[in-house]
Amino acid sequence: MRHLFCALPCEAEPLIQHFKLSELKEHELFRLYQSQDKTISLAITGIGKLNAAAAVTYHHACLQTSSTDIWLNIGVAGHANLAIGEACLINKITDDRHTTTWYPQILFKTDCTSAALITHDAPATEYQAALFDMEASGFYQMALRLGTAELIHCLKIVSDNQEHPVEKINADVVKKLIAKHKTTIEQVLEALRPLAEELNSIKAVPDHYQSLIEQYHFTQSERLHLARLLRQWTVRFPKEDIIQSLRDIKNGKELNKKIHTKLAESDFVIHD
Amino acid sequence: MISTIYIEAEIAEHPRTLDILKRFPYASKVACERYGEIFNRKSQNFRLQKKQPALILAKKHKGMVLPTPKQYAIGAEHNYYFSHMLNCLYDCRYCFLQGMFQSAHYVLFINYEDFIEDMHASLEQHNGQAVHFFSGYDCDSLALDPVTNFTDEFLPFFEKNPNALLELRTKSTQTRNLLKRNPIQNCVIAFSFTPDKIASALEHKAPNIEKRLNAIIDLQQAGWQIGLRFDPLIYTKEYKKEYTELFTRLFSRINVDLVHSVSLGSFRLPKAYFRKVEKLYPDEKLFSAPMEEEDNNIGYSAEIRNDMLAFCTNIITQHIPAEKFFPCHETV
Ligand code: SF4
Repeated sequence: MRHLFCALPCEAEPLIQHFKLSELKEHELFRLYQSQDKTISLAITGIGKLNAAAAVTYHHACLQTSSTDIWLNIGVAGHANLAIGEACLINKITDDRHTTTWYPQILFKTDCTSAALITHDAPATEYQAALFDMEASGFYQMALRLGTAELIHCLKIVSDNQEHPVEKINADVVKKLIAKHKTTIEQVLEALRPLAEELNSIKAVPDHYQSLIEQYHFTQSERLHLARLLRQWTVRFPKEDIIQSLRDIKNGKELNKKIHTKLAESDFVIHD
Repeated sequence: MISTIYIEAEIAEHPRTLDILKRFPYASKVACERYGEIFNRKSQNFRLQKKQPALILAKKHKGMVLPTPKQYAIGAEHNYYFSHMLNCLYDCRYCFLQGMFQSAHYVLFINYEDFIEDMHASLEQHNGQAVHFFSGYDCDSLALDPVTNFTDEFLPFFEKNPNALLELRTKSTQTRNLLKRNPIQNCVIAFSFTPDKIASALEHKAPNIEKRLNAIIDLQQAGWQIGLRFDPLIYTKEYKKEYTELFTRLFSRINVDLVHSVSLGSFRLPKAYFRKVEKLYPDEKLFSAPMEEEDNNIGYSAEIRNDMLAFCTNIITQHIPAEKFFPCHETV
């Protein structure tokens, strides 16, 4: 699943159209949208880092996000001298008030410029050699509690700079700036996909685990042990179905013991 | 190649920092206060980061030179290890660094002079007795040498202090800096080996056995001291055949008389590291081997471990005199 977060409706609108998202009307605290196949969603957070953090939490609660999901904050931001319309992936987020810093991990190839960003509590009046916004730190620190740094990113489009100050921006300008970067956004999401898939495969529940814990009683530690044994079995004997060869099992403990014994009694070869 | 470099503010203008940055003109440079802000953060994934590690240039403030566990000694009473770098270019699946660190980024402590000062202090503390310094616990000593210039910067200290000995633990063939200087007798380049097929299965991105062997031959011919490290020993059904082949190949091609030391130890990891790595690589066969927990470590069952150690010891001691052989039987 990919989750997009925009502060303003005008930032969100081009994305809602592009990804063909429909509003989830049952959720009222924040406006949430989702594609029909449920693989991509969007939240409009409103302005400010507290709103951004709250929207992330709400989104998570409403859509049952997973720790292997992709999270992307998209919006416009000012910078002293970067060109208007330039797309930047953020490599450092500083919360201006708390001087806390986070470093999103960009592990993929991208055409975007990478840049630092400062999140302010109020609209900034002075341009600096860093992007500035009012949401990223709230978005990032909350998303980090739910996912992993490699899959949580902020993509900002430069909307104003010293030569073209913020007064000239309106909703239409913002929509156009975001719309111009639909492909960039898709590319970032595409680049993140294999990482998310890899993480998914690591965290996948092993075959038979679910049905076995429904069938037999296991303590919590026996469940962990079962998961480990099933994984080991699959790694060592990917073509053999362990369950077919187990008979007359009375309880979870006995099941674990039988798998363990089967593993211990078979030859161990580390390479093919 | 490295596409992101984090730079601690305190060493941003250090000549070594500036030198290293020149080598990566296209990498994006990110300023930071302390490397731990990036390296020690939770909610990051070692396996994903290993695909594209960043370089972090940092300053080490304390704990530059630390005492080494006794079982890793190779003949001296006083032993220390030091890590000018954290993490490794290679990706061995049995590596404990995956369990120890949150991040796969390379941290390079560029204040070499402070390390050397601490080594000096350790040396003085032992009043002219032999002191061994081990590099390569938390990284491969040579893999990034062309970038870090580690050997060029540290070897002069050992040239001046013959009662100090440096072990460079490595799987790397980056020996150019060594080969261009005069060899010294108090530096041992210690190469780690597992049999060919095991190395191919587990030692990702590391030079193959033949390349390591050729590097040893070149170094020996140039007059450098060589060590052989068979730690970790890795179990597989045919381990006797595979280790016999490895030993035969090594001992027939290198000059055994010029080998400084040989050590071996069986694969084991502290339990917490093992569980973390096993979670990172649930698809890895190594972690489904017959293992047991003992003293908060996880390693092969006592039977397998003892058989392997006895088998390998027997062959090694046919080639190497007892005083050069240092089996590491204890757990980490
Ligand atoms: S070469 Fe050594 S430090 Fe590097 S990954 Fe392999 S075991 Fe770890």
